[in-house]
Amino acid sequence: MKKCKYENLIDDYLFNQLSEEKKEEFEEHYFNCFSCFSKLKERDELITLVKHEGETIFQDLIKPEKVRKSSWHEKVLASISPRQWAVAAASAALILIVVLGIIPHFKSSTPQFTIDDETVRSGSITLISPVIEVTGIPSEFLWQRAGEDLNYRIYLYDGKESLWKGNTESTSIEIPLNIRDLLKTGGTYSWQVKVFSAEGTLLYVSKKTEFRIIPLD
Amino acid sequence: MEDDVRTESLNIKDVILKYRPVITFRVKKAIGIRTPDWEDVVDEIVINIIEKLQKQEFRGESSIGTFIYTITSRRIIDFIRKKSKVLRHAPEPNPFPAPDDHVENLERSKMMAENLAKLKPKYKEVLFLYYYRDLSREEVARRLGISPRRVSERVNYAQKLLKKHLKE
Repeated sequence: MKKCKYENLIDDYLFNQLSEEKKEEFEEHYFNCFSCFSKLKERDELITLVKHEGETIFQDLIKPEKVRKSSWHEKVLASISPRQWAVAAASAALILIVVLGIIPHFKSSTPQFTIDDETVRSGSITLISPVIEVTGIPSEFLWQRAGEDLNYRIYLYDGKESLWKGNTESTSIEIPLNIRDLLKTGGTYSWQVKVFSAEGTLLYVSKKTEFRIIPLD
Repeated sequence: MEDDVRTESLNIKDVILKYRPVITFRVKKAIGIRTPDWEDVVDEIVINIIEKLQKQEFRGESSIGTFIYTITSRRIIDFIRKKSKVLRHAPEPNPFPAPDDHVENLERSKMMAENLAKLKPKYKEVLFLYYYRDLSREEVARRLGISPRRVSERVNYAQKLLKKHLKE
């Protein structure tokens, strides 16, 4: 059977890795291509099964990991004499002092795991509104809840220029009046949400989603 | 005249039979299955489609699939907006909710799980790392010492094997 060019998007779609535009294109496609729809359903079934029954299905792959780790630790610990410990501790302290001196330089660069979509697949956040087009200037942003006890930071952009940042613990935020005044009918803007744990660790970053403001009529 | 009416009703029925599973899939993904709302939304969409087809509002400007997709998407957006106002936050569907607990589905799931467990290590490993551990394709490739493309090929092949076992 000839392969449909959309087949490769199935996994990305199921894991919410597609841009809003591509997602809609794919959704419209599977309403028209039953080959893709049936493959999509099968893949969805497989992933669901793996996620819910994985512990049983993969027990032979899960357990040995735990066993191997402890024996590696035991071997290392057993082979070090007290004198060697003292030397190691002193060296570690020295390294820490050097590293702590360098860390501030690295803090300013964005941690790789959060932005690079290729390496982070689990965890994602869906933006609900405004997306693609909105009638009239929007009054709030709305997104899908990503878990318990989280903080959301919202970024609004005009092209590359950052217009506004907001923070909230709920899954919607009102756009301040002075910011709404900056938005023009006919204009295209984009926004994204970053999700932080209660402790302040960055967990997920949504894709930057564009929306166009169309007249109210 | 009677024939026309009959053909028309038959076509609408065929359309619904064909597209109901797609609409159901789309709705479940969008709003989740934790509440029974999804069933109502699917029914409303189907009724809406039947009405429009009976009123001959589909004039063939797009494909019937796109026509149905558009109605489905609009209805989902309406539902999410209404629900968000009530809950004060958007509904939170789990992207991979637990399978339906209907007997036939449970039986099928059980069989699939058993078949999965019996797969050769090279297929089981990719499924384990890619879908259970949620690693990226590139990370799975790196760990197994194969190309990312090979990772996808193995996943696809594992799926084909499972399908084959189920049929037997």
